[in-house]
Amino acid sequence: MIAVLGLIVGVVAGLVLQPVVPTAVEPYLPIAVVAALDAVFGGLRSMLDGIFDDKVFVVSFLSNVVVAALIVFLGDKLGVGAQLSTGVVVVLGIRIFSNAAAIRRHIFRA
Amino acid sequence: MSLLNNVIDHSLDDGYAEAAARRGVTGRSHLPTTLRAKLGLAFGLVLAALVVTVGAAQAQRAAPTVEKERQELIDRVEGGTADADDLQGEVDGLRESVAAMQRKALERHGGDKGELTALLSGSTPVQGPGIKLVIDDAKGSGGDGGGPREGSGFADTGRLRDRDLQRVVNGLWESGAEAVAVNGQRLTALSAIRAAGDAILVDNKPLAPPYTLLAIGDGQRLSTTFQDSADGQYLHVIQENYGIRTSIAAQDEVKLPAAPSVNVRTARPVEEEKGSTE
Repeated sequence: MIAVLGLIVGVVAGLVLQPVVPTAVEPYLPIAVVAALDAVFGGLRSMLDGIFDDKVFVVSFLSNVVVAALIVFLGDKLGVGAQLSTGVVVVLGIRIFSNAAAIRRHIFRA
Repeated sequence: MSLLNNVIDHSLDDGYAEAAARRGVTGRSHLPTTLRAKLGLAFGLVLAALVVTVGAAQAQRAAPTVEKERQELIDRVEGGTADADDLQGEVDGLRESVAAMQRKALERHGGDKGELTALLSGSTPVQGPGIKLVIDDAKGSGGDGGGPREGSGFADTGRLRDRDLQRVVNGLWESGAEAVAVNGQRLTALSAIRAAGDAILVDNKPLAPPYTLLAIGDGQRLSTTFQDSADGQYLHVIQENYGIRTSIAAQDEVKLPAAPSVNVRTARPVEEEKGSTE
């Protein structure tokens, strides 16, 4: 119940507060979104696997977002930002896909 | 492949398995049970939902801005084009009135020589019997970006060059043409035919093959004289040797446009009263 509440609070906070994203951080937002989705799917799968751990969830979420942003930041400084963003998106995308597939197997047994 | 396999095999964070092993839970606890764990999950979900929502909101906000900027640019381009068109129209109108005034002035001062001057200088459209000469590059030489004929590397010998066109035009004048236009560009006493890159320029306007030369003169005779002249022979030779395609036909009525602008900025007639002896 608290978890669902948290989800709703997050969405509402994002919509109501409309926090202005600083221009310096703006390029990393899409990557952060993909990393967040990856963490959420990973958490969901682990829950279905029966090995969910709240600390791992929060820490993996935060570190995913930070590391992804860091990689893109570094790439921007080195002039390969676009390529590294693509790389991050590909890796996280594959993870999201396979996690989604695992979740699907759990739910539909197929 | 091992990289891809690694990514796919470890799609779930290894931390989950380790944490489960530490706790000794093999389990079926689908949801966290302790309050601390529930709060932790809620906190993580708050963060995730926040990031995703902010991302979506940002994209939502940015989209109209981008679209607006695009539209503004399009509007500016269209406005600029319309302004340029208006100005061009104004220029055309003014040029027309200047030409009319020039003709009138010439008529007043030079009698019927005014019309003749206008005809010869190319400042007025002309019509009359003449010939139509169409010259085209050799088959298979166009559009492949090769150099002009006899150009560096001799890579592409089937293209008409500027000096060929110069010779042909000279031949037409020599054969008695009274007015010549190339692809609708009237040649005047100030016209230049030259090359820039692969294109032939007449008065700095690039031409695209086929080159259509209209000349006013005594139709059939002009045609015959030209073909017998040295330059006509030259055209024949490049047709034979390089596959340049040409066709010449006498026409009963040929219409040539006026030259776009006949401007003389520095030259002026010698003032006869001062008794120049040069």
